Amino acid sequence: MLIQCEHLAKTYKADEQVVRAVDHVDLDIARGDFVVILGHSGSGKTTLLSLIGGLTSPDSGSVRIHGKDNWSMGDQHLSLLRNKTIGFIFQFASLIPTLTVLENLLLPLYFGEATDNRREKGMELLARVGLADKANVYPSQLSGGQQRRIAIARAFINDPEIILADEPTGDLDEETEGDILKMFRQFNEQGMTFLVVTHNANLAASQNGCRTLHMKNGQFV
Amino acid sequence: MKINPLQRQLNLLDYALSSLWRRRMKNGAILAIFAFVIFLLGSFQLLSQTLQSSAEELLAFAPDITIQSLVAGRQTPIAANKIRELADMYGITASSPRIWGYYFDHDNGANYTVLGLTEEEIGAMTGVILESGRLPGAPGEVAVSPAVRQSLDLAGRSAFSLFRPDLSQASFKVSGLFSRETDIVTGDIILMSLADARHLFAMPEDMVTDIGVKVANPVEIDNVARKIAGRFPETRVLTRAQIRKTYQVVFGWRSGFGSVCLLAALASFVILASDKASGLSREEKREIGILKFLGFQTTDILALRFWESVVVAGLAFLIGLSLAYVHVAFFDGGLFKPVLVGWSVLRPDLSLAPSLNGADLLLIFSWSVLPYLAATIIPAWRSAVIRADTVV
Repeated sequence: MLIQCEHLAKTYKADEQVVRAVDHVDLDIARGDFVVILGHSGSGKTTLLSLIGGLTSPDSGSVRIHGKDNWSMGDQHLSLLRNKTIGFIFQFASLIPTLTVLENLLLPLYFGEATDNRREKGMELLARVGLADKANVYPSQLSGGQQRRIAIARAFINDPEIILADEPTGDLDEETEGDILKMFRQFNEQGMTFLVVTHNANLAASQNGCRTLHMKNGQFV
Repeated sequence: MKINPLQRQLNLLDYALSSLWRRRMKNGAILAIFAFVIFLLGSFQLLSQTLQSSAEELLAFAPDITIQSLVAGRQTPIAANKIRELADMYGITASSPRIWGYYFDHDNGANYTVLGLTEEEIGAMTGVILESGRLPGAPGEVAVSPAVRQSLDLAGRSAFSLFRPDLSQASFKVSGLFSRETDIVTGDIILMSLADARHLFAMPEDMVTDIGVKVANPVEIDNVARKIAGRFPETRVLTRAQIRKTYQVVFGWRSGFGSVCLLAALASFVILASDKASGLSREEKREIGILKFLGFQTTDILALRFWESVVVAGLAFLIGLSLAYVHVAFFDGGLFKPVLVGWSVLRPDLSLAPSLNGADLLLIFSWSVLPYLAATIIPAWRSAVIRADTVV
């Protein structure tokens, strides 16, 4: 199993109240799976994604990737995992405003060996998201949807095994959404594993053999 | 994929450089202030080192022992015939009379040092470098520095005159010009024969301002000085080491005072830099969060901050030190010369040839770059430990 979550739990304190964002969740995801988690805002989807991606530490339970517990390893292991194994797509703008589009796209490659084809690879991914002509502009010169497409392209730059995506098509127009979902499908057919959290039921319907889960109050229902 | 550690550091340095460039206004301001502080420290250190080594050169021409006559604690002329009484003292190889005095030139507002020596002593001045001409040999001949010549407004002429106490004039002719390399020693000196100096100051025959004594064995200087003081209790007997100590005390006080002021300025800058480094903006926190979820480790963020500080401090060090060198070499350290030279404000301008050695560089580096690195790296830890989910 590529990803294994066992009794995963995370609580937050908000206004003196304890919120169970993820409440003892079990989840297994095999290599090449396309898993969509549907749920309303506040259901715990984003927290679950952060826990699996090693961004947030759980209160209890474990997340294993390739059989190794994320939180029993050190900062170096987690950083390497985030850099090489996982590609993140967040619902917020996650671009650095003072870097150009291409520089943002190539950021995860800072820890790879210097290769001559970095730029070519970056340009190829920009072309796939329809923004090849924006390589040298700054994020502030792009629309919200265009920024999202850059962030999506960046998630694929290191050829990760797993894509963790949070509302990846949230502010895209219908045509662009279709292009992005087609791209997801193509990468998935090549063996890449997807875990997508969304409240968009159409997204699940667009992927062949997609496994759909529903989340409410931090638990699968 | 195995990552080459050198390649990783090069990548981080590359990112640090681009990060500095992206915040060029803020970093440029820090660089400018830091370079200015290093310029001040460097100028001060360079100038004080140059003056100190020049003072050492000055002492190289001083006799081993100087004898002066005191009355009521004030210096008065001493009878030159005391030299005869010194001749039988064991350890003394030579004694010679000197007239060493000051001449204030009202017209130019300059204070010259008049040095009258015997023919033998002038002939023995091998350490003095002449730019042109020769040392005085005939009556009325003098050697001066380019600064004195300029102050006397000689232009192409070589003859000039100075007022005697009765306002009659004594005429002189410039026979030689001292090199600028020995300006600190010769910058304000008018070197002439003993007889000419006595005539200028209207001193009685056989009277001089002091007697210079040479001792055969340097180890015996203090012993010989004690013997002279015992034989001539009405005199003040100064060894070269005592004169050096006096210079060092006066100079050390001035230098110390200046250093304290400058170190206070440096401390203020370091506190400012530390405050800047520890107070992260929302945008900077977000950027670190993004870098973290893209795979940057805590140590990578620390390395980034380290490289940024190294680049800023290194550049500031180079710029500040270069400006300090230019300031001392080409502008005679004008900013600090009044503080360090003090009483010499009336002297003709002296030009300095700064000598920069490894110890000075290390000292300025330790006083400036190391405190800056410490002040910026330690608070950088706070930014480096920002969690990756900060931006989620």
